[in-house]
Amino acid sequence: MAAVKTPAGTLLFAPLTAPLQRRYQRWLRRRLPPARVITLEQRRLFIFPTRAGFFFMLALLVMLLAAINYQNNMAYGLTFWLAMLFVVAVHFTHGNLLRLTVVAVSARSAFPGQRAEFRLQLRGTQRRGHCGVRLLWPESEAFVDVPPGADVTVNLFLPVTSRGWFVPPRLTIASVYPLGLLRCWSYAQLDMRALVWPKPLTPPSAVITDASSSGAGDANQSGNDDFLGFRDYREGDSLRRVDWRGWAREQPLQTRVLASPQSTHHWLDWAHFPQGDTEQRLSWLCWLALHYDAQGQVYGLRLPTVTIEQGTGPRHLEAVLTALALYGVSDRPRGAL
Amino acid sequence: MPQQAMPPLAMTWLMASLVMVMLPHVPRMPLWILLVYALAALWRLQMLRARLPMPAVAIRLLCGLGGALLVWLSFGTLIGLEPMVAVLLVATGLKLLEAVRLRDGYVLVCLGLFLAITQFLFSQSLPLVLWIMLSSVLLVTALILLNQTPGTRLSYRQPLLALRMLALAVPMMVALFLLFPRIDPLWSLPSRIGQGSTGMSDVLSPGSVSRLARSADVAFRAQFVDEVPSPSERYWRGMVLNRFEGGAWRRTDMRQLPPNEQTVFSPDRLSAAIRYRVIMEPSQQRWLYGLPYAQSNSPGVVASPDNHLLLQEPITGQFAYDVETWLGVRVDQALSPWRRDYEQQLPPGLNPRTRAWVAANGATTPRQFIERVLAYFRTEPFYYTLEPPPIADEDFVDRFVFDTRRGFCEHYAYAFVVIMRMVGIPARVVGGYLGGEYNPVNNTLIVRQFDAHAWAEVWLAGEGWRRVDPTAAVAPERVSLGLEAALADDPGFLASSPLSAYRFKGIGLINWLRLRYDAVAWRWQAFVVGFDSDRQIRVLQSWFGELRPGWFVMVLFGSALLVLLPLTWWMHRVRRAPSPLATERRFAVIAEQLAQRGMARGPAEPPLRFLKRVRHYLEKNDPLLLELEQAVSALYQTPAQFNSGSVEVKVQHSR
Repeated sequence: MAAVKTPAGTLLFAPLTAPLQRRYQRWLRRRLPPARVITLEQRRLFIFPTRAGFFFMLALLVMLLAAINYQNNMAYGLTFWLAMLFVVAVHFTHGNLLRLTVVAVSARSAFPGQRAEFRLQLRGTQRRGHCGVRLLWPESEAFVDVPPGADVTVNLFLPVTSRGWFVPPRLTIASVYPLGLLRCWSYAQLDMRALVWPKPLTPPSAVITDASSSGAGDANQSGNDDFLGFRDYREGDSLRRVDWRGWAREQPLQTRVLASPQSTHHWLDWAHFPQGDTEQRLSWLCWLALHYDAQGQVYGLRLPTVTIEQGTGPRHLEAVLTALALYGVSDRPRGAL
Repeated sequence: MPQQAMPPLAMTWLMASLVMVMLPHVPRMPLWILLVYALAALWRLQMLRARLPMPAVAIRLLCGLGGALLVWLSFGTLIGLEPMVAVLLVATGLKLLEAVRLRDGYVLVCLGLFLAITQFLFSQSLPLVLWIMLSSVLLVTALILLNQTPGTRLSYRQPLLALRMLALAVPMMVALFLLFPRIDPLWSLPSRIGQGSTGMSDVLSPGSVSRLARSADVAFRAQFVDEVPSPSERYWRGMVLNRFEGGAWRRTDMRQLPPNEQTVFSPDRLSAAIRYRVIMEPSQQRWLYGLPYAQSNSPGVVASPDNHLLLQEPITGQFAYDVETWLGVRVDQALSPWRRDYEQQLPPGLNPRTRAWVAANGATTPRQFIERVLAYFRTEPFYYTLEPPPIADEDFVDRFVFDTRRGFCEHYAYAFVVIMRMVGIPARVVGGYLGGEYNPVNNTLIVRQFDAHAWAEVWLAGEGWRRVDPTAAVAPERVSLGLEAALADDPGFLASSPLSAYRFKGIGLINWLRLRYDAVAWRWQAFVVGFDSDRQIRVLQSWFGELRPGWFVMVLFGSALLVLLPLTWWMHRVRRAPSPLATERRFAVIAEQLAQRGMARGPAEPPLRFLKRVRHYLEKNDPLLLELEQAVSALYQTPAQFNSGSVEVKVQHSR
């Protein structure tokens, strides 16, 4: 029909068998290259009737038979009207996704077994809204409206398993709006990746003492909690030490000063763990980093390739974890692309 | 796809639009079906409020079987249009009870569309079509509501979108309507049952015509090519009743006539004919009406040996036919002996007083005798009334002529023909309509049920059948001015049409509107409802000359392009991206707002660094932060790809 052909490049997708499937995937990759900002142009959009759409067509067929057998002109009229509504719906469903822009905003780091947060943004066109847009990943989905000219931020969460870069699978953007009789969809390989830290594992206890004794002073575990008093909050203070209760009482933001935070200095040293394999060693170091950070102690990292000077605070922790995550990993994302 | 639940808003909207669709069926259906639907809808509403559970499968199954059984009991059969519609209505009601998933919504919408189609099998009038169009907009709105994101409110937008989509479908629908070949029925489907026939009946007994005077319903309309005949010529001949049996005049079955009697009227084509087109309202009978004597070439129309027109099958929908009439033409100038005998038969022994009167008032010629009888009706105190005293007597004519002397047209025609046959003059009763309101807007006569009339035909040597209307002797204004004038004060007139627009024809504006509307209704019937394959070929030939398949394709695609091209252009038109200047301004505004919260941007601080710095002081989902992120990503065109600058690191134990 003319109607289906008019949006040139609208393609009908049929299920394919395995070898064809591979070919299809290759073709999709070429056709839909990864990008950070993807605007759904017509050549990216696919459209096909839904099950409800086929049911509707069946109903139209029965109505047409009734019109023919009763030779009823108004029945003809209604049947044709609804059939043409279906044709118009092809345009509206297609137009609903047309020029919708998907932006890969950010990806959060996570530990293996957690879900990494991916922040996407949908940008509508100036004139038309985009209603009932579904963003689908195998384990995560969102169902949103994008008003005209607006940006909508969507957070999706994907489970991550192994250390290093995690590249999310191809995102499906689909919509059956307005009538639900047709489904228009597109795939987007968003150029975004999340960093997966090593899985924190409790190191052998001997190692802890080794690690702590290698520092400038003894770790006074009990003294760690000795409360000395308050001082005004300064930039860079750990948020764990902030007196949130006082702040909630509308007092100025203050930081708790503890007894001996400065007295312990540690090195998280690759060389301290000769017994484990690479992943185990990284996991232990990771656990220690979190451990020292929780206690507000000063620590640094020594890896065969990277050394991070001693420090404290969240940004320091992040730097350490990032170094651990990327140890032995090329900066280029693996596989997938 | 996962099973999705139906949004409550869509559910309530669907129930309301289904009520809209089924409303015109209400007068045809037994009351309990409405109760079933109402109860099901109420139950479903309570389910929406979680006050009632969904009935168990077994109960729903029982309800379904019970419903079918009740339909069977109500109609006596399940085959037929009405029982089928009843089953569809019950099924729709019961489907409401189990409609909880999204896909049930689509089933309900399709059921609603089926119901809409069934409406047209009963009537295709303009008001009904408008009603169904409105209902279709509501059903399409229901489809839209089914696909909204959760929490979307109902607004004017959804019905407006449905209206817009349906409006865009209209040009292509019209093209398909014109071009789709009107093929013959593929198989026969059940037709209407239990439909009481309306209009003149083919059994004439006292009271059978006067009951029609209570109704102002249209019996048929006739549009004339040239001038409309004068009121006294508007005798619409329907059926000939020439068999007296059981105290009533009845028609003779064509198949019982001897073979040589089955000749039909063939006009001499020398004189000019009056040409007109008649559209009958559904009467469930086979009679077609025409001025005497009429001939029609329309498909399905048969001429009977009694010189009237009839249809092969009862008229269940509006039926249009073209007629040619030669007024004043003489038919059956020579009557066969069989026919002569047949048209004089009368059961012996009845009405002794009338027989005595006939014997006493003998005349030399039939013409003189007819005059004498008419003069008797004229001079004696006979009255023309809608509500004559009932006569339950075998000797009806005796009682009527000598005792009550009050009657409607059928009383006079009945008595007159009996009297004629007593003296051996071939005579018969003719049933039909007399009159018709002239609509100058489209040169049409509108004939209503109260115009129903019965008169007599007598056969005279050398003249053939002559029309004699004994009612005219009693109430001449019935013929010249119509029933209304003749029955000015009769309370029974239009008693069953209290709100008919016809009653208000004294009011100028209403009358003007009424006649305009009637002209529109005529056009609708003539050109849209009556658009059959003949008319289709004629219309297409007049547009495109010779019919070639290429034209069909071109018109179909042309109409599609007419709609789809502008639509495509409108959707694909590129909106200019916001200018870089606007992006910078937006960033500046946000930076200013942040400065007011104590997070000023340093002089010449790059936006990305500013963003990273500010991020530490703001809550994760602070709207200002999100706006800043957007503004910055717009400035850089590419948003930050990897950003783990998060401060909340939490260790979760893996599952």
